[in-house]
Order: sequence, then C-alpha cells, then structure tokens
Amino acid sequence: MEFTTLFLATAIVMLTAWRGQRPLALGLFGAVLIACVVTYLHHATDTLKLSF
Amino acid sequence: MTQARAITLNALSLYGVALVLAAAYAAQFMLQELPCPLCLLQRILFAALAVGPMLNIRFGPRPSHYAMSLLAAVAGAVASTRQVLLHIMPGDAGYGSALLGYHYYTWALLGFITAIVLLAAILMFDRQFEEDKAVLPATGGAFAQTAVWLVIALTAANVATTLLECGFGACADNPLVYELLKHAA
Repeated sequence: MEFTTLFLATAIVMLTAWRGQRPLALGLFGAVLIACVVTYLHHATDTLKLSF
Repeated sequence: MTQARAITLNALSLYGVALVLAAAYAAQFMLQELPCPLCLLQRILFAALAVGPMLNIRFGPRPSHYAMSLLAAVAGAVASTRQVLLHIMPGDAGYGSALLGYHYYTWALLGFITAIVLLAAILMFDRQFEEDKAVLPATGGAFAQTAVWLVIALTAANVATTLLECGFGACADNPLVYELLKHAA
C-alpha cells in the first residue's frame, strides 16, 4: 500500500509542478523524497549477504 | 546554452524517463514479472526525476530544479545499489530475468548514475539561467507538453497497477500474483 501511496503522491507533485504553485511543488517533492527514504530504510532490514 | 535549448533538453530527459517507465511495464506485462518492493521504489524515484525538468519547462531552468532531480537520482542509486548487493553472492541467480546480461536493478543503477552525470554536466552551462523570457513559449511547446503528460500518465498508471499488485496491505517480497485480482477471482 505504501508504494501505491508514493506513486500517487509523485503524480500529485507532478501535477502541482505543471499546474500549481512552484513553492508548493518544491515542498511536496521534499515530502515525497523523505517518504521514499523512510520506506527504503523500513525495507532495508534484510541481511546483506556479501561475498567477502 | 540558451534557455530555449535547455528546455528542449529537459523535455528530452522527460522522454527518457517515460522510456524507462515504459520498459519496466514491458517487463511486467510481457514477461509476467511482478516488481518487488525495491523495484517499485526505484520506479518511483525514476518518476521523481521528472519533477525537476517539469519545473524547468514551466518556470525556466533554475539550479534548484536540477538539484531536486539530483537528490532523486542519488536516492535511486542508493536503492538500486542495495538490490545489486542483495544478489551479489556467487551462484545467486538474481531477481527476475536479465536484459543483455544485466538485471533490471543493475540497469537502474546505471540509469541513475547516468542521470547524476548528465545533471552535473547541464549545470555547467550558466547562460540557461539568465532571463530569456522573450523567446520562450509559455509551457515549452507541444514537444515538451507531450513529454510532461506522457510521464504523468505513466506515473498515474503505476498507481493503478501497484494497487492491483499489492492490494491494501504490504507488498510481498517476492510477488507472484496481483493481490486484488486474486481476491476478485
């Protein structure tokens, strides 16, 4: 569900960038990027099986 | 580089993003390979790359717009590097099928690194940031507008297909079926 939400949020940022106000687009973009990083960290708990 | 030429290059970059998102769909529907959570995150960050060029086309090129795309590209490179590392062990077959010898996450890493290099290169041309409104079309012309709406449409389509794949819960680590279609059948 979180990925659906992130895609939706990205589409909203794009529409804001194209039709809305620039500061709002910048702010929403920052929020989406932070949400992406948080999602990445949430999923980055698997053990890394490195070969060394 | 003039502002008009920079806007044309930004429109071209949007077609590049559209090509990446379309190629991901081709793998998903033609090879019946559902994207994993990290794959979806990389797709989202490819889509996020497009916000900077859209702002450049609408408001004129600004370093802050390029910086937004740079941040998205770095985040995407981190996510794809992690997936490369997850499958780096000798004997690991990797996730999904390979295209020209590389898996999609390896291509994604190369794509994000290429984006970082191209963004750094275009930032070196200072003349694009000078006011040049007289020669600029309001929203970049039909070529740029088509690129913008193509990327928005592909991103919106991903909202629908990701909902179909993951349903209303957490996405499976190794998805094999569309969750919503499974419940509907």
